[in-house]
Amino acid sequence: MTLLQMKGITKRFDGVVANDGISLSVNSGEIHALMGENGAGKSTLMNILYGLLKPDAGEILVDGKAMDFTNPLGAIAAGIGMVHQTFRQFPDLTVWENLVFQNEPRRGPLVSADAARDFVRRLGSRHGLEIDPDSRVRDLAVGIRQRLEILKALSREARILILDEPTAVLTPQERDGLFTAMRELASKGMALILVTHKIPEVIAITDQITVMRDGRVSGTLVTKETSEAEIIKAMVGRNVPPTIAAKVTSDAEPMLSVKELSVRRAGVTIVDAVSFDVRPGEIVGIAGVSGNGQPQLISAVMGLESATGAVSIGDQDISRFPIARRRAAGISYVPEDRHLTGTAPAASIAENIVFGTHRHAAASSKGFLRKDAIRAQARKLIERFRVKAASEQLPIGSLSGGNMQKVVIAREVEHGSPLIIVEEPTRGVDVGAIEFIHQTLIAERDKGRAILVVSSDLTELLALSDRILVMFEGRINARLTGSDMNEETVGRWMMGGAETR
Amino acid sequence: MIAAALDTKSRLAAILFSIVAAVLLGGLVVGLTGANPISVYLEIAKGAVLGRGLDETLARSVPLVGMALAAAIALRAGLVNLGGDGQMLIGGLAAALVALYVPVPGVARAVLALAAAICAGGLYAWLAAILQLSLGIPFLIASLLFSYIARGLTSYLVRYPLRDPATGMPETYRVASGARLPAHIFDLPVSMAMIVMAVVAIVIVVNDRSGVNGFEWRMTGLNARFAQYSGVNLSRQTQRVAFLSGALAGLVGALLILGQQYRFTDGALLAPGYTWSGLMAAVLAMASPIATIVASVFFAALQVGGFSMERALGLPAVLTWVLQALIILCLAARPILFRKR
Repeated sequence: MTLLQMKGITKRFDGVVANDGISLSVNSGEIHALMGENGAGKSTLMNILYGLLKPDAGEILVDGKAMDFTNPLGAIAAGIGMVHQTFRQFPDLTVWENLVFQNEPRRGPLVSADAARDFVRRLGSRHGLEIDPDSRVRDLAVGIRQRLEILKALSREARILILDEPTAVLTPQERDGLFTAMRELASKGMALILVTHKIPEVIAITDQITVMRDGRVSGTLVTKETSEAEIIKAMVGRNVPPTIAAKVTSDAEPMLSVKELSVRRAGVTIVDAVSFDVRPGEIVGIAGVSGNGQPQLISAVMGLESATGAVSIGDQDISRFPIARRRAAGISYVPEDRHLTGTAPAASIAENIVFGTHRHAAASSKGFLRKDAIRAQARKLIERFRVKAASEQLPIGSLSGGNMQKVVIAREVEHGSPLIIVEEPTRGVDVGAIEFIHQTLIAERDKGRAILVVSSDLTELLALSDRILVMFEGRINARLTGSDMNEETVGRWMMGGAETR
Repeated sequence: MIAAALDTKSRLAAILFSIVAAVLLGGLVVGLTGANPISVYLEIAKGAVLGRGLDETLARSVPLVGMALAAAIALRAGLVNLGGDGQMLIGGLAAALVALYVPVPGVARAVLALAAAICAGGLYAWLAAILQLSLGIPFLIASLLFSYIARGLTSYLVRYPLRDPATGMPETYRVASGARLPAHIFDLPVSMAMIVMAVVAIVIVVNDRSGVNGFEWRMTGLNARFAQYSGVNLSRQTQRVAFLSGALAGLVGALLILGQQYRFTDGALLAPGYTWSGLMAAVLAMASPIATIVASVFFAALQVGGFSMERALGLPAVLTWVLQALIILCLAARPILFRKR
């Protein structure tokens, strides 16, 4: 039975068509994947469905009845729920307080905590999503917080549930738990829309697939009858070969060596006596569930965070250096968030490329910038890294996520430093750019550079790394090579090690 | 910063739109008082550029451009300097002290006085920056509050220890004529203060467009964390930019004392409100130095025209302040007026 139908949805922003006559139909009991690269129009479509945006044309039918949402409240009343990528929760309140917010059971003028707790327990057991009503949300693991988010939607009698990239923050084990819950909900007659660009999970769990490209539907597929190659083709419009990284072992002298590095903040040890090496010609991956000290470890290596312990590049001890001298000693660094720390989005592409090396002779002389040389260099990199940009003078923030990330990678690779540290190389980047960035990193490794990659995407780490270090509660609790580098084993260590099984 | 991501074209459109909207709203205000808006605007325009008006506009542009650029270079690097008043006072006082009491020949005394003002204003702003860097007191707040300290301090000094008992006013002695800045050079309608300010303005514009330092400051203003990650020493840069911003404000104080007022009179430096007009010009120009200069000359003309209009029509010149404020308000309102759903 068709529960949701979207017909001919069209939405323009300043003349740019974000959705062009999109039709989508989801049956009750079905898990439906909505796929597409960044900028394909998935978010626009889902925001229209959830009442956050108004379509220019087209109609939405729930149970065959035409709907006209002016805000999310209308969508919620029609039985549509959304689990956002970033949770909308009060971290300092308890689970039950979060769940009954704006819908509180009352006893006279007061909130009845007992009734609320009872409500949470019943809701949880009805859907197989049990959760302790009295836990404080900030203390919960990410997977449980997501469960709370799903329960919030269910508490409002949602029959259509949109999940926006729900697995981005989860460990493999948490992800499996989520999938079980999703199947359970579907079996009770709900319709689920899974927004994602991860192909393996689409194949693992969904029934139907709608693929979007450039604001249009580029493929409507039945999961059982399709293949990975067919999905990729619908997403990018051409065939992409899978990444193959030959695993190499290196026994050269370490390029980066970290000894007993610790970071403490307000008495809490965030990075706990971490030691490791990265050698020329190898990619070392750091895995871990977010919140286990990975960003602080990298900040400490870069000199952005005060730390105890030793960091050296080659035989030079750089532990006391500020970031500028660490970079000069031979580190290139691609930070985690390209908008926050990797670029100045309002500045031009050329300015973003030269910044950091603008005092070198190639970019300036006697305190004045050599603008022609800077622009020429930017044009060269734009071409070599196949960045889709009309001009090097455009603000870098006007580029798509993938192209912006390519510029950042290009800048850092071009420094020619013997060590490259990359945080989240392809977060929020489209399939074509992921491929290109991976190839670039592998090519740089093959040239003999030492590369350290931190990523929350395990598939990416497994594809790139020659060795994987797993961080848990501020320590490296596993160093994995060879056949141990598989999802199962890495995932188990990410959860704390063998004893959790 | 307001709409920092806007490109140049839409920024210009936004500024023009705000000016037009402000003129219309201002006209409405004038109309409500029963006067004819068109003749008011005509008088303002005539008064600003015709006859002596042009000279007055140019003279008023010097301090206004100076204070606007002082605000703009800080704003460009992500610092909000609200302490222009204090830095100007301290700079002006330093200039007056050197010009009055340092026993060197005339011209050398003037040069020393300017240098003293630059150092004093700069150090005064630098102190506020140090408070931000060491104690976490925001520069915006510290610089503003330092103005009150400067006001109290200078007011006390010119009322008691430095007072010229011959006048009935709280003011210092007059600066010897040898140490004053000439109001006319080679009998041209160009003062020494204008030349000094023109040189400063050119240096700032060139540094912003092609200087390595200007580039670092601008990138820091656009994204301080990116600048830090790329190796900029933010603490050192904050101190440097604060010093330069304050130094320029101090220089403005000295130019006013040595080129116009010839003595430090309590309240005289602040009465025309150069700091706040300058801040508004810098905000209107979104801290681009060239646009800041254009905006502050425009404001100077508006103010001079306002006085002329007051003389001609008897309407208060405060109207031009209303106009200035309306322009900024419209500019701030613009992005929301046109926000799309």
